[in-house]
This record gives sequence, structure tokens and C-alpha cells, in this order.
Amino acid sequence: MEIKFSLNGNDVIVDVPPMKRLIDVLRDDFGLSGTKEGCGEGECGACSILLNGLPVTSCIMNAVHVIDKKVETVEYLAETELGKLLIDCFDEVNAVQCGFCFPGFVVAAYHYIKEKAEADEQEIKHALSGNICRCTGYVKVIDAVMLTCQRVKERGMR
Amino acid sequence: MNFYQPKNLSELFRYCEATDGKKYFLAGGSDINVQLKKKIITDGTVISINHLKELHGIQELDEEIVVGALTTFRELITSDIIAQYFPYFQTSLKQFGSPLLQNVATPGGNIANGSPTADAVPLLLVLNARIRILAKSKMHKLPLSDFYLGYKKFNMKPNEIIGSVHISKDAERDWQTFYRKIGSRKSLAIAKLSLAGMKRIENDKITAVKLAAGSLNEYPRRLKNTEAFLVDSNMPDEDNLRKILAEDITPISDMRSDKDYRFEVCYRLLSRFLRIE
Amino acid sequence: MKNIRRCDGVAKLNGSIKFLDDYKMEDMLYGYLYYAKFDHGKLKGIKYPSGYDLNEFTIVNAQDIPGKNEVPEPECDQPFMAESEVLHFGQIMLGVAHANKDKLKIFCEAIEVEYEELPAITDIDECLDDENNAFGKVLEIDHRRNIKIESHWIKTHHIYRTPHQEHVYMETQGMLAYFKPESRVMNVIGTLQCPFFVKEAVEAIMGDNISDAIVEASEGIGGGFGGKEDFPNVIAGITALLAYKSGKPVKTVLDRADDILITTKRHPSRIEIVSYTDPDSQKIKSLRIDLRLDAGAYQTLSPVVLSRSVLHASGGYSIEDSYIMGRLFRSNTPPNGAFRGFGAPQAIYAIEAHLDRVAAHLNIDPYRLRQNNVLQIGAELPSSQKIREDHLAACLEKVVEISDYQKKNEEFKLWNKTHTDKRGIGLSLGLHGGGYTGNGENMLDSEVRILITADADIAIYVANTDMGQGAYTTLAQMVSEAIDHPISKTKVINPNTGKTPNSGPTVASRTIYIVGNLLRKLALQIKADLQFSDLSAYVKANADDFPLEFRTRFLPDPDIYFDDDTYQGVGYKDFSWAACVVEIYFHADTYEVEIKKCWNVMDVGQTVNPSIAMGQAHGGIIQGLAFGLSEFFYKKGFGRKQGLTDYTMMTSSDMPEIEVEFLYKDSLLPKGLGELPMDFPAPALRNAFYHATGIFIDELPLTPERIFQAMKDRG
Repeated sequence: MEIKFSLNGNDVIVDVPPMKRLIDVLRDDFGLSGTKEGCGEGECGACSILLNGLPVTSCIMNAVHVIDKKVETVEYLAETELGKLLIDCFDEVNAVQCGFCFPGFVVAAYHYIKEKAEADEQEIKHALSGNICRCTGYVKVIDAVMLTCQRVKERGMR
Repeated sequence: MNFYQPKNLSELFRYCEATDGKKYFLAGGSDINVQLKKKIITDGTVISINHLKELHGIQELDEEIVVGALTTFRELITSDIIAQYFPYFQTSLKQFGSPLLQNVATPGGNIANGSPTADAVPLLLVLNARIRILAKSKMHKLPLSDFYLGYKKFNMKPNEIIGSVHISKDAERDWQTFYRKIGSRKSLAIAKLSLAGMKRIENDKITAVKLAAGSLNEYPRRLKNTEAFLVDSNMPDEDNLRKILAEDITPISDMRSDKDYRFEVCYRLLSRFLRIE
Repeated sequence: MKNIRRCDGVAKLNGSIKFLDDYKMEDMLYGYLYYAKFDHGKLKGIKYPSGYDLNEFTIVNAQDIPGKNEVPEPECDQPFMAESEVLHFGQIMLGVAHANKDKLKIFCEAIEVEYEELPAITDIDECLDDENNAFGKVLEIDHRRNIKIESHWIKTHHIYRTPHQEHVYMETQGMLAYFKPESRVMNVIGTLQCPFFVKEAVEAIMGDNISDAIVEASEGIGGGFGGKEDFPNVIAGITALLAYKSGKPVKTVLDRADDILITTKRHPSRIEIVSYTDPDSQKIKSLRIDLRLDAGAYQTLSPVVLSRSVLHASGGYSIEDSYIMGRLFRSNTPPNGAFRGFGAPQAIYAIEAHLDRVAAHLNIDPYRLRQNNVLQIGAELPSSQKIREDHLAACLEKVVEISDYQKKNEEFKLWNKTHTDKRGIGLSLGLHGGGYTGNGENMLDSEVRILITADADIAIYVANTDMGQGAYTTLAQMVSEAIDHPISKTKVINPNTGKTPNSGPTVASRTIYIVGNLLRKLALQIKADLQFSDLSAYVKANADDFPLEFRTRFLPDPDIYFDDDTYQGVGYKDFSWAACVVEIYFHADTYEVEIKKCWNVMDVGQTVNPSIAMGQAHGGIIQGLAFGLSEFFYKKGFGRKQGLTDYTMMTSSDMPEIEVEFLYKDSLLPKGLGELPMDFPAPALRNAFYHATGIFIDELPLTPERIFQAMKDRG
């Protein structure tokens, strides 16, 4: 089936089985390997991408779901002004450890900051509660997002 | 597995009538894709309906709010209309799944999947929600409480789909509300048990009460015996309340939890809710 | 000691670093490990599904193995693939490869096995309660001193149990192998902790059919926690065989559900402790421990886990008369393996749970009891090793101070009298030995190399992999600081057995403690030999001499003497120490324990990179708390968990407040850090629960269901 959608700012068409998992379309058909498979059940958030601006787990979505919609992966978000700031804050506090879950956190955090940008610990914890991390215990992840929110405010970004 | 994407509802029903075999309706995909992966679904046709505009949207009518079956939970949680009329429902839904799942999961999917652990169903039951079922040449409404006939047995034909969920605008008015979901953690948790309740008190007596439990029966349902017992009775004694509750819930032991624990905690939550404050 | 940024942070954040499944090769096949779905049986035959051309698939079984069907481990009793008998659910029977991932999956799922069912032990208690299931070498630490047990001494006797724990590294296990027929070299890229272990495994299975195996770590390794210490041997061996037979590159990546079902887990334990305490001096005078670990169907590396377990069984206390016996027990379950802590979390859970039992018996504060028995300078462990520092006592005092333990202890007792919900605060402490046990480091004989190029770039050659703990950053940092050279020009080369020397496996909290210190020593040696103050200037002035390579080996330490039979001697030259406090709120209606806060005070010596050290502490503490509160893998009557949905690790919404303080962080020597944070939260949590409710639960985890049952039994 021809799937026409917007991927990382570009209009694209790909011919794949309609039920092909979105994560496989992104990784195999478009070579975007930044999106990772942690569980294949929608239970860990490592495969998160933005669909029409909202973070979703691509391992339990299908090619047919993105027709005429906008998909943004970590590769694209990392190059935006907010994405660069967010990544720099994560890096500054040395939040990353093994890194496998972090593309998913970048996507979820990106959305949170775009939508709310509140340096509120409880709100941030809730927004990221669909993303599992085994290495960090989440402490520095929350710190990094708080820091980003503060910097966004200071710089008048959104 | 076959696949079909109808352009509109009429095409959908024409196809369903003309095609044999099992049919699975693809909404957000969060249930179907896991079932495909685990080989719970192995053959039949997946029919994509997520794009059908008729199934989306929140509408305010004179007497009721109409929620398209494929409205996402996120849309419900952020909707001003839902906030205005059903704040209890809206707040309770925040415990569903995770923020990521809320962006794709839908009440239609949650209801139609028929899991005993469905989070939205107990809430909709105490709100006396009705669902509109769409078929080829007709549609009809029925109370959600009449939808389940057994474990994954639905009061709906294979060629019909849930089109929308209807809740009266006054569904929450003048009710004291209660909702607890007990999971093994605060997010990404399948309910071990859940209890939704609404009650009215007058002169220290319960004049009306609605209770619905999740994960405690083969499908979420109203605790009818307990409701009947509680109305017009003063604070019931512990033994009698336990006895009557046992007529309404049949908890099991499984990997997630134990039978006795589930019963006891349901009882405790119920007692807490019934306390006249 | 500096908070420099990780060398791999940004690449991990923007998704550009390659993990194993991101590697692709031309003509690559996908591999699958077909495993038995029954617990114990004699194999009769395999039926492949009809409707397939079997020539499309590459299939290998035990008969195809050119070398030895024996996975190299401390105990080589596990075959790569089952021959005539399957001894556990999940035992690999076949390796299968195909160019199409989906076709491969569907084909493998339809394979049928004919077998004769044999009796099986799969229940943890059934395994550990029956001494007939013991196998392997019995370890005994005999520090009995023939003391007289006085009649007024208080006897405390209990059995403590801990369950499996699954690592849930976010990246599942996997290997990519390709064979070069011209050179007869088998190349392997893997998500692994120990490239030289994997090399040995591939050489074992391939025998004379290959001239050499070259094993390389994947650029990014998505977590290990010990889970990628030995199971990679199995995946690599079979994947290599598939690559050899097919003549094509083969990549095997485990599906999460399979990974959870068949890979190694933390050993379940049953630890029975008998102690006698003098109520007057409040000193524990005598200790007897019967320590049992469920090894699964094969021993593999369990003897080493058992070794560390018995050496940590007496915890952080000085007890005159002790006897510890450790045994492995067999069951028809997948062999258990390394997991952060490696036997110590089980042992420390038991002794710390026991201490609070003793305190309750004596009717004294658990803090006082610990103060009276904690290891001080000159004290002796059951192995007769003498303690050289009193840092543990300092950790205890500090954690009591920052948590406000004593005030809360009294305050909660009072509060609980008038509330149905309960509040509790609990304590634990102990030790964790750094590096391999006893003579292990001498045997490992680690070698490291440093290369300085003509451009004054420093390249560090070690075998240790960065699985998230920051090894590539901290090792480079240690060298850069020792030589006083910019970190931007100091890099660890990606571990590769064809390029980097064997500096030992990435385990046992040894990467900084042993390998890092060795690198630092070499770096200082280089500086002293070449006599420069500015390396870049020196290289420029002496360009013709470069590149220059320097190497050194771990020197057998004369201080280390350890008898592997009597378990007497120096088990670990340097211990790291810690004390932990956990505060909880117990919800009476739902029987749920809510962790409010966890304090850890630790001595890991010098914290080379404080922010990385802190991250390690956070991660280990959360894993330790979840080990105590909610993680389990097997439930009687319901078998094993099948996927991530029900394996309850904490999400960000569940995380309690955490406070960590490092003592002695300015000391000269960095000690072991990785595993220490794992050991203490679970017992402190359990002790907090006792403080809150007056009920001792001796088995982990403290699920609401277990608590409900315990309260019901109590009446």
C-alpha cells in the first residue's frame, strides 16, 4: 500500500504492507535507526516519535496510521533549536548512561517542553511516566528537563 | 492476515457483509498490535477505521455529550467540554496507561476489546453511558451495561461497530464520586482491581448509589446487588457488606495478584467510599 | 576529580550511535535461537512446518558443532545446544537463519518438538528447601572459635528468601557474526560486557574450522548489569555457527519476550541464619549461615556467584564465632547468572533482615545494635581478613544524621499509635569487595596499553566495555588527568579482541578500580619515563619517535593471599562501604508500601567523575528498591513472566526521593562503585516495614499481596 506522509519535514511516499509496524518503516524503509525497539509491546517508550506533534510508541502503530500525518523522529528533533537545548541540558548533567532509552526521552521531553515548559517536578515525572529507563533511576533525567524548562524561560523560547 | 481500508462507513459495512471470517477493527492499534505479536490473533481481516471522521470528535448536544468512539484519551483529558461536565471522569482517566498510550488509545477500542481490566469501562458504567452501535442500514443505542454478555462476548453483531459513547450532561451533577485504580505501579499498570462509585446522601442515608468494578469479573460491571442493598440502608455492618459484595465480584488469582487480596481491597475501598463525611 | 561530559552523550541523545540492531551488512541473514518450551524431557524428534523449502533456511543443531558443545564458563556444564535431553525451559535446541525477519519468525514458531516428558523442579521453594537438589562444590568458611554459648544469650533463627530479578537492559541481547573464508577468521560484533569471554566461546564451538575469532563491542551497548556477562557466549557461538554454515553474515537479536524468558537472572536465594547475641554487651557472639542459591539447570558461573555470596554473608559486622556454608541447588530452569551485586544483594539482604530480628529480640534500637557490632579497624571477617579502615562506621553515623533517623524513629512510633496507615524508617549497612575474589585478579593478569600518536592523540586500549556506566569517559579521564593532557585528545578505543589487550571482563566493579588504576599507573609511568610537562610540546619536539606504545600488566599483589579451599585469606583487597536508610508510608487499605525517601551514604574512594558516579548510585538504588518492593519473575502456580507488561520496574511516577552522599571522595584511590548501591535499599525497605507495622516479612518482594497474607496470618 502506498503510504503518503510527512517525515521529518519532507513529504514522502513509501510502498509497504499497511500493517507494517511504524518502527520498522522508519528503521528499515527510511534508515532512521535513532528510534529503538525496547519491548515491542508499547510498554517502554524507547520507540517514541511525534505523530502530529504528540509522542506515541511506534512499535504498536502501523504504516496505515500515518497517512496524511506528520511524523518527526529524534534525528529531526535533535536539530531543532529546542531539541539542541534539551540535548545540551541532558548532556550537561551527564544524564545519559547506556543511552538506549534516550531518543524516546528526547521525544517525550521535547513535547512536554513545547506544550508546558513548566519546571514542575511532578508534572515532568508524569509526562515521562511512559518512558522506562533502567540505568538512571530517572533522577538526572528529571533534573535535565527542569534545567531545560528554566533555560527556555530565560531565553524566551518556546 | 488480510487488510482492508474503507473510504467511509458505508463501504465498511458493505465489505463486512460481503466478507467471511474474523474481522478486527483497527483503531489506535495499541491492543491489536500486541495481540498480533503474541499470536492471540492469527487469521482474519484487519479493517482500518482510525481515519473515519464520523467516529471522531466530542459534540455537545442539548441533553448529552457525544464522544466519537475513536476520540483519544488525550483528547478527553484535555477537552474543555469534558472538564465542564465530567470533571470526575476526566481526572480519573489520567490514570489510564501512560501519557504515550493516552495519545492513541480510545474509549471505543477500550470497550470493544472486552478486557476485564479495561480502565474506562467502570467509569462509563457509573455515568450510565450509552453506546451507539452502527450497522449497515441502521444504528441503535444501548446502555453500556447491556453491552457485555460474558468474557469477550458482546451484545453486538460481528458486522457492527461502536460509533460513539453518549453521556447525559447531568451525569455527574449532585453526586459524590470515587475512583481508585490499584496497579503494581503508578504508570503503565494494568489494574489489579478498580472501583468507580457515585453516591447521594440525604440525612445521613444513602439515597442512591452506583458502583462498578474493573478486573474483578469476567467483564467490568455494575455491582447491582450491592447497590440495591445499600440504598435506604444505614451504614451496613461489615459482615453483611462483605457477603453482598461477594455476590457481585468474582476475583481470581493470576500472575498479577491474588483472589483474596483483590476481594479485601475492593471491600476496603468500598467502605472508604461509603463513609458518610 | 571533575565533572567532564561523557564522550558519548550527544551521540546517544540524537540517536546517531549504533547499537547492535543498527548494524547492517550486505547479504545479511537474521538469526533466531529456537528454544524448548517444556521444562524437562528426552528429545525424540523435530518436525519442521510444511509448506517451506528447508533449503531457504540455515539450520544448525548440536550435531553441526565442529568444536565442543560446551559453553566456556567457570563450570563448563552447559551445552550450546541440547543434544538428547532438554533440562530447562528455554534451552536452545536450534539456530535458524533466514534473509527475511518475518518469515524466520513465522517458520520458527511453527516448529514442533517430540519429546518424552520427565519430572521437573521449577518452583523456587521446591528447589531450595530440598537438600537433595544441592550440586557442585560446597563452600565453607569456618571461623568457629569454640566459644561457649551462654544460657542467657538470645538465639535468633530465621530463613530469608529472595526471588529472581531480571536485568531489563533496555537493549535486548544480540550478536552479529560473519566469517572470512580467506583468513578463516570469524568476526563477531556484539552487545556485550566481556569480548574475550565471547572470543573463547566462539573458538570453543567452532574448533579447528576457524583460525581465530575476533570479537568487537558494538558502538553503543544498551545496558548490561551483568546480564551480558555470560549469555552472550551462547548467542555468539550459535550465531557464528550459522554464519559459518550459511557463508553469510548473521545477526541475531532477541525479542524482548524471549529475552525475559530464557536469559540469565539473579539467583533466587534461601539463607538460613542462626545467631546468638549477648544481651548485656549487645554483641552478636555466634553466627551460623546456611546459604543456598538456585543455580538453574547448569552451574555455569554460579560457583563464582556463590563465592561472593558467602564472603559477604556476615555483612558489615565483627562476629567472633562464625560458620558459613554455601551451596548451589539445581532446578529445571534457565541457568541463573551475573546481576549487579553478584550474590551480595541476597547475602546482605539476609544478614540485614536478621539484624533487625535480633534487635527486636533484644528490644533495642536496630541502629544501636549495628553500632555495637559494626566492623572497626582490626576486626576480622569470617575469612580472617583484617579490616583496615573504619569507614563503615562513619557511613552509618552519617546516614543516620542526614536522614534524621533517630527523631523519625520515635516520631513514627508515636504517630502509628493513632493512625491506621503507618509510617516507618529502616536501616541497613554493609560492604562490597572490589574486583575479582581472592586470587582472581592475579589469575586474570590484566594487560592495558596506551598509544601516543604523532599528533599527540592518546589512544587507550582495554577490553572493558561501556554499557552505560561511563567506562569510556572515566578511563579516559583518569589517563588525561594523570598525564595532564586534554580530554579531547584522549580516547578509549572501541574494545576489539584483535586490537585491544585482555584487561579482563567488565564485571565485579573492577573497571575503574582495577583497570582504571592500572591505566593511571601506566600514565604516570609514561610521564616519569619521558619526563615531560606538556605532552603535546614533547611530541612535537620528538615527532620522529612517535607513535609510541606503552603497556603494563596487573602485578600479582603480594598482599593478596587467599586459599580457595578453606576460604581463608584476603577475599578483596579493598572494600567499598555503605549505609542506607529508607522511609516509607504504608497504606493500610490497599496494603501498598509507598517509598518516601532513600538515603545512601557510600565510600567508594575517589569519585573520578562525580556526576557519573552519582548517576550510577541513583540507578543502582532504584534497582535495589524495586528488588525489595515489586520485582519478581516467577509466581507459584503461574510460572514465568512473559513480557515487559507485567515485570514491574519503577516508572518515573514511582520514583521516591533519593539522597546520596559520598564520603572520602577526595582519597587517592577509586574503589569499586557499580554494584554497591544495589545491595542495601531492599533490606532497609523491609526493615522500615517492620518498624511501621511490627510485622517481619522475610521474603522479597514486599508486594501488597504478600503483606496482606502476612497480616491475615497474624490475625
